[in-house]
Amino acid sequence: MDRRHFLRVTAAAGAGLLVSGTASCATSASSGPVAQTAGTATIQSNLSAPAAKAAIDALVKAFNDKKGAQASVNTVASETFRTQLPSYLTSANPPDLFTWYPGALLKGYEEKGLLLDISDVWQTMGDYPQSFKTLSGRVFVPTTYYWWGFFYRKSHFAKWGVTPPKTWTEFVDLCEALQGKGVIPLGMGAGSDSPWTAAAWFDYFNIRVNGAPFHRELLAGRKRFDDPKVKAIFTPWREVLPYTDPNGTAIGFQEATTAMVQGRTGMLLTGAFFADAAPKDAIDDIDFFRFPIIDPNVPLAEEGPTDGFFASAKSPHVKELKEFLTYAATAEGQEVYIKASSGTVLPTHPGAKDSGTPLVQKGRAHLKEAAEITQFFNRDSSDALQPTADAALIRFLQQPDRLDAILADWQKAAQQVWSS
Amino acid sequence: MTRSSTRVPPILLLFVLVPLAVEGFWVFWPALQGFWLALTNWDGVSPPRFVGLGNYARMLDDPVFHTAATNTAIWLVLFGGLSAVGGLGLAVLLQKERRGVGVYRAALFVPVVFSLVATSLIWQVLYQPGGIFDSSPLADPDTAIYAVLVPALWRQVGYVMVLYLAGLKGIDPGLYEAATLDGATAWERFRHITWPQLGSVNSVVLSVIVIDSLRSFDVVWSMTRGGPYHSSELLSTYMYSTAFQSLKLGYASALAVVIFVLAFGVIVTYLVRAFREN
Repeated sequence: MDRRHFLRVTAAAGAGLLVSGTASCATSASSGPVAQTAGTATIQSNLSAPAAKAAIDALVKAFNDKKGAQASVNTVASETFRTQLPSYLTSANPPDLFTWYPGALLKGYEEKGLLLDISDVWQTMGDYPQSFKTLSGRVFVPTTYYWWGFFYRKSHFAKWGVTPPKTWTEFVDLCEALQGKGVIPLGMGAGSDSPWTAAAWFDYFNIRVNGAPFHRELLAGRKRFDDPKVKAIFTPWREVLPYTDPNGTAIGFQEATTAMVQGRTGMLLTGAFFADAAPKDAIDDIDFFRFPIIDPNVPLAEEGPTDGFFASAKSPHVKELKEFLTYAATAEGQEVYIKASSGTVLPTHPGAKDSGTPLVQKGRAHLKEAAEITQFFNRDSSDALQPTADAALIRFLQQPDRLDAILADWQKAAQQVWSS
Repeated sequence: MTRSSTRVPPILLLFVLVPLAVEGFWVFWPALQGFWLALTNWDGVSPPRFVGLGNYARMLDDPVFHTAATNTAIWLVLFGGLSAVGGLGLAVLLQKERRGVGVYRAALFVPVVFSLVATSLIWQVLYQPGGIFDSSPLADPDTAIYAVLVPALWRQVGYVMVLYLAGLKGIDPGLYEAATLDGATAWERFRHITWPQLGSVNSVVLSVIVIDSLRSFDVVWSMTRGGPYHSSELLSTYMYSTAFQSLKLGYASALAVVIFVLAFGVIVTYLVRAFREN
């Protein structure tokens, strides 16, 4: 869910940090953020959006009402959280639990011995699918996840007389049909504050053309961005560029959402969190379809970013925090969370009920059908690699003819990230 | 004078030394550590690894650093230059007390009151495609830096104007009367009275605009984040994203040192020259 908060990042936090410039590099380790209470597990949370904050508050309240161990939440703006995470973890008195997602960053911290081994919590999670287990390792407990797809309004598609496509050819035909009706077929909101949304397109083309294993290897630095196989995915992308909103690199995610909801664009490749931002009266009208299959021989993969908790190795409240994690992993805990949230997230517990709307049920089935789940560009690689993708992909959208130079520059920038 | 009147009361000493100690511990000491970190590779978690001048050598070979340095130079010249010229011009125009002049002064100063982040958001809406422009100048790598410069200037001009207005108020009106009696033209009065009399204000304005342009960050970060593809990157935004997005704190500290040296260098050079002239 960090993607959602990404959108609400305040530059103010950044500005504040800059003033202290070099200072914050050196002092951050001593600016541990929490007041520890004996016997209470403190959760450092980046869920600062109102709906998400209400959800975690409800979860913690339900946990505390059981009169076992106690927990408390400390909510921090997501950008502050992200930039301060290393200092939280290395401080002498860190918070006990953190909201986060599995991925390269967590693996790095695990290797440095900063994270608590919570494999005994996993003992209570026997009915979780293996995929979540593999993803989490010994240090992470997943609680919710969501899905990506092309979202559209049913009433608009009906008005335009079009239906959702399944194959790539049908998809291109759909774009052409919409353009013929004077609608911009494909929305895009990769402007100033949300360039990362372009990475969804990259991820999907790569997992559709080259498959999820190649995608993960590429993002882990074991393949190159100037590989001919990477270059190949831009061929279908170029094919639909004429149907993509020409202002797609100028407007942000919110404006792109509005454009689609108002029918100026036909559809938008986005995560389910999009529905949270859509007006309430439009929610029932919103549906989505799978990113079209390009090569039927490639096993079906979908993006299913997962969120949850990890714990600090230095925590003095191991018993309490494990009790909390165990509860957060139960169907009950997740149902409490989802009920209080905006409702578009899915529970990771296979037996937990989701919010039950047709959209969410479809989303759950959508991910179940996939043979492979990827997380998202920054989660499968790192937050450090994301800006290299932003630069390369926005440039591709603006200057598609300079692909070779773009991929060469991307590889160079990525190598700098991997080598440091 | 008796001895007791020259002795500093302990309470005053306390008022000076305690803040100094706090400042020293929380600002100077970490800042000094920044210089040390600039010689290391540090991810914020593992112990820093000493690399000598490696971070500085890397800058020479880093295309984004080159863009950021060039943009910072452009920024310094345009943001600094235009705000100084514009601020002085407006101050001279609005110097005379006449009816309604306060309204104009206030109007020009208002942008200074707004948070620059709020200002940026408003300008972002103005720049939106389909508004004033067909396509957003923020999204075009050739124009992004200038599009960000405009709101920054819009704010800074009012600030510099106030500094100059204060300076102009300090000039003895008798000088102008004498010059007018001698038959000096408006330009001659400006050239031989106003400008030399503004000497001390000029050094303040110079320091302010150099420091402000090198630490310009919020306006760029909230409008473009240094994009599209680094085309509007300043040294400050590049330092921030290097430190907190890429977690390369060593390299980012080296960038911070460069910013510091630039700011310090420009100001010290000017002050030394100014003192010599005096």
